[in-house]
Amino acid sequence: MQALIERIGRSVGGVVGTLFQAGRDAVDLCLKTIIPFMAFVTFVIGLILETGVGDAIANGIKGFASSLGGLMIVCIICAIPVLSPLLGPGAVIAQIVGVLIGTEIGRGNIDVSMALPALFAINPQVGCDFVPVGLALGEAEPETVTVGVPAVLTSRMITGPISVVVGYLFALGL
Amino acid sequence: MDALVAGAEAFIQVFRTAADVFVGFTTGIIPIVVVFLTAVNALVKFIGEERVEGFAKWASQEGIMYMPVRYTLLPFVAVFMLTNPVCYTFGTFLPEKHKPAFYDSAVSFVHPITGIFPHANGGELFVWLGIAAGVEIVAPDMVTALAVRYLLAGMVVILIRGIVTDIIYNIMTSRKAGVE
Repeated sequence: MQALIERIGRSVGGVVGTLFQAGRDAVDLCLKTIIPFMAFVTFVIGLILETGVGDAIANGIKGFASSLGGLMIVCIICAIPVLSPLLGPGAVIAQIVGVLIGTEIGRGNIDVSMALPALFAINPQVGCDFVPVGLALGEAEPETVTVGVPAVLTSRMITGPISVVVGYLFALGL
Repeated sequence: MDALVAGAEAFIQVFRTAADVFVGFTTGIIPIVVVFLTAVNALVKFIGEERVEGFAKWASQEGIMYMPVRYTLLPFVAVFMLTNPVCYTFGTFLPEKHKPAFYDSAVSFVHPITGIFPHANGGELFVWLGIAAGVEIVAPDMVTALAVRYLLAGMVVILIRGIVTDIIYNIMTSRKAGVE
């Protein structure tokens, strides 16, 4: 009987402990990364909405983001192997451009149907800065990294524009 | 004097608007993300590493037959369970020649997944949220549909990325071998 009670007590304690730790990790992530980035993003949005900067950016972005061809051009530029590692870190560029395009969608300057292809067009450089580290995390040999880095960067030139088309097709009928 | 006041007014208005958006994000995004993160963090711990690793070993086998598994399901599970950037450690289970393609595939999935599973890449939510916030204003009922489509389109894209990178990596290694 005592053993049973002990077992129940232990396992309940374990479950509660795990859940509590999970909650702590969640709040930690929120406080340390999500909210700081949110503060930065909302400031950018405030600037866009309240100053003339927004209109200038809007005109620039509108030309590119309101047609499939324009998004293709953005995507191909972002995927150039020299540029893509520079644009990659922390996805900061993709996030800022995402907010800019999102704001313009909200103001009605860009059609909603462009949202999905745009999500891919602004992001062909994802992880291009991180290839050696990512491969090292997967315990790849140094020779694999030497060839793997240019392979991934070159591949993005092809798969970037394809991803925009895939996004466009998936957005049909939305 | 009036001009000064107008200037100050315009200046502070930037921050008022920013603060309004911030409050909107805080009440709209933070609660659901925190609760969701907690649930998934716990789920991942309950499922346990061994079981996930067992799956990874099965999914990372060689051969064309396993290609769709290797470049869709495996990255999905890796990113969902281990989140960015630990997910790339799944590369360990793959044959050496498929590691670059797997990395390409997995890293390309860390944003499409955030539309529905924000826990997977909490630090880079605004690729999705930035655009979703705009859609929310124009067509609020379309946001979830868009998130689902972003996820599915992401699956297709990572499969294509995996296959293309595999081919390019093969060409590059054989060329390098030819030179030497």
